[in-house]
Amino acid sequence: MFFRTRMIQTGFLALAIYVSAIAPSHAVPSYARQTGMACAACHTVFPELTPFGREFKLNGYVLDNMKQVTGIDTSANQTLALNSIPPLSLMLQVSYTRTNKALPDSAVSGALAKNGDLLFPQQASFFYAGKIAEGLGAFLQLTYDGAGDHFGFDNTDVRYAHHLSFGGVSGNDHSLVLGVTLNNNPTVQDPWNTTPAWGFPYAASSTAPGPITSARIDSGAGGFGQSVGGLGVYAWLDDHFYAEITEYTSAITGGAHPLDSTQANVVHAVAPYWRLAYEQRWDRHSLEVGAYGLIARDHPGNGEPLSGPTDRYRDAAVDAQYQFIGEDHLFTALATYIDERQTLDASVQDGLAANVDNNLKTLKLAGEYYYKRKIGGSIGYFNIRGSSDPLLYAAAAVTGSANFSPDTDGYILEVNYLPWLNTKLQLQYTGYTKFNGGKTNYDGSGRAASDNNTTYLLVWVNF
Amino acid sequence: MKTHFVLLALSASIGIGGASYGADQGTESMTEAQKAALRKTIDTCATCHGVNGKSVAPTFPNLAAQTAPYLEAQLHAFKDQSRGDPDAQAYMWGMASQLSDPMISALATYYAGQAAPEGKPGDPALIAQGKKLFEEGVPARQIPPCASCHGKNGGGQVVFPRLAGQHAPYLLKQILVIQSALRNAPVMHGIVKDLSKEQMQAVVAYLESI
Repeated sequence: MFFRTRMIQTGFLALAIYVSAIAPSHAVPSYARQTGMACAACHTVFPELTPFGREFKLNGYVLDNMKQVTGIDTSANQTLALNSIPPLSLMLQVSYTRTNKALPDSAVSGALAKNGDLLFPQQASFFYAGKIAEGLGAFLQLTYDGAGDHFGFDNTDVRYAHHLSFGGVSGNDHSLVLGVTLNNNPTVQDPWNTTPAWGFPYAASSTAPGPITSARIDSGAGGFGQSVGGLGVYAWLDDHFYAEITEYTSAITGGAHPLDSTQANVVHAVAPYWRLAYEQRWDRHSLEVGAYGLIARDHPGNGEPLSGPTDRYRDAAVDAQYQFIGEDHLFTALATYIDERQTLDASVQDGLAANVDNNLKTLKLAGEYYYKRKIGGSIGYFNIRGSSDPLLYAAAAVTGSANFSPDTDGYILEVNYLPWLNTKLQLQYTGYTKFNGGKTNYDGSGRAASDNNTTYLLVWVNF
Repeated sequence: MKTHFVLLALSASIGIGGASYGADQGTESMTEAQKAALRKTIDTCATCHGVNGKSVAPTFPNLAAQTAPYLEAQLHAFKDQSRGDPDAQAYMWGMASQLSDPMISALATYYAGQAAPEGKPGDPALIAQGKKLFEEGVPARQIPPCASCHGKNGGGQVVFPRLAGQHAPYLLKQILVIQSALRNAPVMHGIVKDLSKEQMQAVVAYLESI
């Protein structure tokens, strides 16, 4: 479900598919059913997590207040603890997208596509989200994608967590959660909303043009998406310190299996992901600062055998999140900066990249405000800067770059209204001040960055 | 934070009730399984109410040193959904739904035995105003002194909760939901129904400070 930049030099079908790969994040009512707690316990406004929501996730999604189907063995050890009602949920997103200037027709040269695209649905998802057994829980999402007209495995995180109390005067002054996560998207397991999988914006158009690339760890054209599988361990100490290491490798669905030269961007061996974070909570405030990163070595594939030189990606990122959760007023600030160093030995050999050494730097900032979790607005800023590469970022109508640059920056403005906690009506405007290296005629075909400015209306319900 | 309410149900069936759990958690008479069930439940409570019942966020009340009868009554009220203020519904209806009666007693006893939270300093003028209201009430408007039920130093007694050292925003919210009858507390409703917002803010500032 992910596509690398160099795969999509031309063609609007590819464009539509790759932007639809930027899957938004979700909140799930089955957790509310399982815990008996309102959405507001875990979310400021879905899908952003509160401190309690982070605890729920880190403890394995297992907090339950439902009648259980249980079993024990002859030594009285528990062998089964199953919710009496399965933790299932559905999600529906219906959206309308309009860009400043219509996109070219995908088949007739010189013609324009209809500007104003209604997707019913943009996405429809089915979730199993909740407890599986003592300490074992899941967030499992199957999604029908309207633009791609396909049904597939979406974000998934299955985890086991064990909680320990120890130390201090009372013998339980310290808490430690030790966990294991099995997931298919780096950072989908992360409890903060600064990291890419659950970062701002939480929903976006799946048909409007997006930047030509993104860091490997980021969501977007260059991201891992749901094409990997990872097994990791984490620790959460005293509700302050978080540390995690997860090893990923390719888990591409569809195509040739075992993976061979017909696949694209196949991870060589394993790609280690790491995460460190510190959170401080006081009064109604919480502040998190952290760092995360990934080292991946890929075989480009795409007709080339999965052997020989590899492309190496080293992503190192810092992030910070501030939340104020008042009775009436809620405010969140999010920031992350990702520095990616690329060493593209394989792509250069295969004629897919011109430079062995490239870099890509991504900055994302966002601020959100809600009044009584009912109505709110968000403002976001994004900035991508990277080295130019005539093969990696070749000129192509809409999707390419005339000066071979991935540089893109712009802003996102949002107004959200939630008549109920599980229903969001969103108006979003994305403005580009630079797109794929340029402000005017960025693609070499006369298109301006602002032509891609996008108005996006979304109805998002979870039930 | 694992809840293990199955274990709680088991603990009910094997009879936790009736034991006396003191400040040292008084778990001597409990079986290992019962102790483990209580420990896990306390870990769950700690997610919001803090280690040893001292919470960080003022949305969630301190439970440390709260009177056991009050805690027990509230947990039952959450469980049977007779306490219906917004946060009770959002958080505690679910959390208390599977608690057995013996476990409710054990939790109440545990938290009653924890060291009381320390008061936080605030605006001296507001605190002084609140102290006067707490100790003397407003005779002209027939508002009795809070201290008459909640204790001279706000330490609570029997089913009248401890208020000393409690988060001011939490206390203010409780007065408001009792005043608006979202939280069903007929006696308190009668007492606070005519309190002004300024009087509420003064008395909760005082209570948070002691």
